[in-house]
Amino acid sequence: MSSTASPFQLARDSLQAHEPSPGLIRFRRRGYQRFLAFMADMDLAFLWKRRWFFITMIVGFVLMAAPTPDGLTHQGQIVLVMSLMATMLFITEAIPLPTVPLLIIVGEVVLLKVDPTDVARSLMTDSVLVIMGSLMLAVAIVKQRLDKRIAWWIVRMTGTNVYWISFGITAVCGSLAAFIGEHTVAAMMLPVGVTLISLTSNEPKKVHNLAAVILFSISYGCSIAGVATPSGGARNAIIISYWKDFFYNPTDPATYRFLMDYVHWATYAFPMFLLRLPIVAALLIYTFKPEITDMSRAVSRLRTQVSMQGPMRASDWLTILIFGLTIVGWVAFSSTLGLGTVAIAGVAAFLIMGLVRWEDINGGVNWGVVLLYAAAISLGVEMKSTGAAEWVAASVFHTMEQVGVGNTLGFNSVISVLTIVVSNTMTAGAAVAVLAPIVLKTAVAAGQDPISAGFITAISSAFGYLTPAAQPAFTIIYASGYLKGSDFFKIGIRMMALSLVVLLAISVLYWPLLAP
Amino acid sequence: MAFKRSILSDRQEAAVQKTLQNLRQQRRNRFRILACIDGSDEAFVTVRFAAQFSVQNNCDLIVLFVRPIDSGLHSGGLQVRLARQNMMDAGFDLPGVRHLKRALEVLREEGIDAESWPQEAAHQDAWGDPAGDNKVEYRSPEGRAVVLKLKTAPDVANGILDQYELGPYNLIILGEPSRWRGEFGAFFGSGVVQTVTTLAPCSVLVARQSLDRSGFFICTDGSSRSMHAVRRSAVLAQVIGQPITLFSAAVNLAGKPAADEAVANAKALLTAMQIDVADTRVAIGDAAEEIVESGSLYRVIVVTDEGRSRLQRLIRGSTATDVVRKARTSVLDVR
Repeated sequence: MSSTASPFQLARDSLQAHEPSPGLIRFRRRGYQRFLAFMADMDLAFLWKRRWFFITMIVGFVLMAAPTPDGLTHQGQIVLVMSLMATMLFITEAIPLPTVPLLIIVGEVVLLKVDPTDVARSLMTDSVLVIMGSLMLAVAIVKQRLDKRIAWWIVRMTGTNVYWISFGITAVCGSLAAFIGEHTVAAMMLPVGVTLISLTSNEPKKVHNLAAVILFSISYGCSIAGVATPSGGARNAIIISYWKDFFYNPTDPATYRFLMDYVHWATYAFPMFLLRLPIVAALLIYTFKPEITDMSRAVSRLRTQVSMQGPMRASDWLTILIFGLTIVGWVAFSSTLGLGTVAIAGVAAFLIMGLVRWEDINGGVNWGVVLLYAAAISLGVEMKSTGAAEWVAASVFHTMEQVGVGNTLGFNSVISVLTIVVSNTMTAGAAVAVLAPIVLKTAVAAGQDPISAGFITAISSAFGYLTPAAQPAFTIIYASGYLKGSDFFKIGIRMMALSLVVLLAISVLYWPLLAP
Repeated sequence: MAFKRSILSDRQEAAVQKTLQNLRQQRRNRFRILACIDGSDEAFVTVRFAAQFSVQNNCDLIVLFVRPIDSGLHSGGLQVRLARQNMMDAGFDLPGVRHLKRALEVLREEGIDAESWPQEAAHQDAWGDPAGDNKVEYRSPEGRAVVLKLKTAPDVANGILDQYELGPYNLIILGEPSRWRGEFGAFFGSGVVQTVTTLAPCSVLVARQSLDRSGFFICTDGSSRSMHAVRRSAVLAQVIGQPITLFSAAVNLAGKPAADEAVANAKALLTAMQIDVADTRVAIGDAAEEIVESGSLYRVIVVTDEGRSRLQRLIRGSTATDVVRKARTSVLDVR
């Protein structure tokens, strides 16, 4: 470069590098940046976002400091306030839900002065193992990608008429969701539903009603079957846990009925699924009136896709075998081995056979939910041991007597409606965990059967049908984009009324026949 | 016990200070250019200017990208920092690295193949951010250095000014901002370029897309400060081989002789330095407007900064600042 031969040196002769800013200016600049960094971490909106958390804390501590009502111990008062605070946090979702169980654990040790080892022990029960095992099993099954084959099995049995396809989907989803977590079944079957819809028409607007029928068949299939067996949902395991903790006495043979096994539960609750199964499909067809009634075009395309997958592989058969054996284990050995043990044995079999990787299970299971139910059960036990549940139950029963709903039907109606209202505002499992101790004790005070009351609470908690956010299975099908929020209300209000009638009929006509 | 700034003994502290002083002295013997980029295509004109200015072996070229720290709870709180950490662990590039790599390509296009030189990388924690400050230094066998620096700071403008403290630098080159605030509005906050242009202790070049033009349009008002600026900017023009045009503006006809004299003196000064002057021009009218009008055909307009504080600029105004804002070509504000 010719210019490098210049007699001038840029550093010496051209623009000069002046001394850096004097100390004060530098200090000011650093201070300003520190201020900016500090402000970046300060967020006044944070206080607003977490307002319900702060309100809950203030309400909680004020109520804890208030005078203890007659007949209630101070410990009982604290447990009740903790339950109220947990309920507020569940409803408002002011903090991430798994944080609530963490606070419950801290509260039990710090406020109730329960021995930390006892608290830790109360967290891991057989019911928690059931919840954990069911979630893990679901992940293992979904991983096998059997969705299209299941869809093909359905239409082979049902034919190409929309009503029968809807019935088939509801039945298959229900049959799976009766044994494993309903939201996972919904996630597994959603592609099946969307495949059938998209094979019918590429324009969603043209098949909106058909999409509603198919997709709601999935979600309602999952929802109505979730109560059929103990492993169908966390709420079932929670109630079983409460029955044992509240009423079982090893020295009293009359209380052995409170050790609910798999078959015994299914005897009570499975009819709720079977009775509603044909009604769901009919109600869906009546409500949405699909644009197309014959889906032979979609079915033929589905047949092509399944054929291209080739024959069933050994791993597919092995999956079905292990799942079948797990169900047999639940039915045959739950009273001796416990429900949770059978569930995790099934998961272990999946892992041993290499059908699923631990990383998939680890990533697919919402461990926060497990923690949530573990802590909720633990708090329920404390409600019983401090006498808080009994105190609230006596108050509730007194009120019920005053308004004239002391008989069985009236009692069942009140607790069912109460549970439906609560479960429409928060997670079904959490609703059961909060309500069940009070309901069970109220049943005792009212002279009603706690088994019956427990079933009503567990089953009613699945009647949150009104919004897409009411149940995980609903949220999943809503995510497909085919449905509107108003669709959920349109069908949900009818399903809710129908389910309530069926439940009350069963509770009055069928369950008394099973009682000793 | 008296308050001490350092935990070192006096002797050790003195040794550290001496080392720092030596380092600064070494840097003072070099022509250091700080080219700032923000990732936009237009901003790489700063790198092109820097490459064309750093023609001697005692030139160091530092390309700087300042990344604001991941703000805390405004954008999801700690998760953002956690996510950043995870992304870095997973081998994702930091924001800005792509732009710095692009700057290397621009330098190669300008004839500086820094990637073939020996390189050295360094990392330093900054502001508790997982990314921190990172730099890669390429040094040619002849001693010329190209440094790519990715700096983290709560505020970009202050990050650039902080970088100056580590220099010092002879020239900061910035791209043109999308808007300038008035002197009054700038009291309550101004953009990155305006802030740095106002507060930088060294000369600043606000680069525009003017590389297709040629010539340094050097303005003078005849003052001693202005003559210094003329001399130093003329040396730069001479070294990089750009023709020089001297210019002065008189407010009215009565001031024209003084303007003529200023240009004549500047020309005599440069002639004595054996620097050729291609042209001289004098105009009558508002200085800033005339400079902008006449200088727009040149690659760079050179103005002398009056050295006024913000308050003084608000009250008395500043021709240099007006030209920097209004010009349609690159402007070198000499300090």
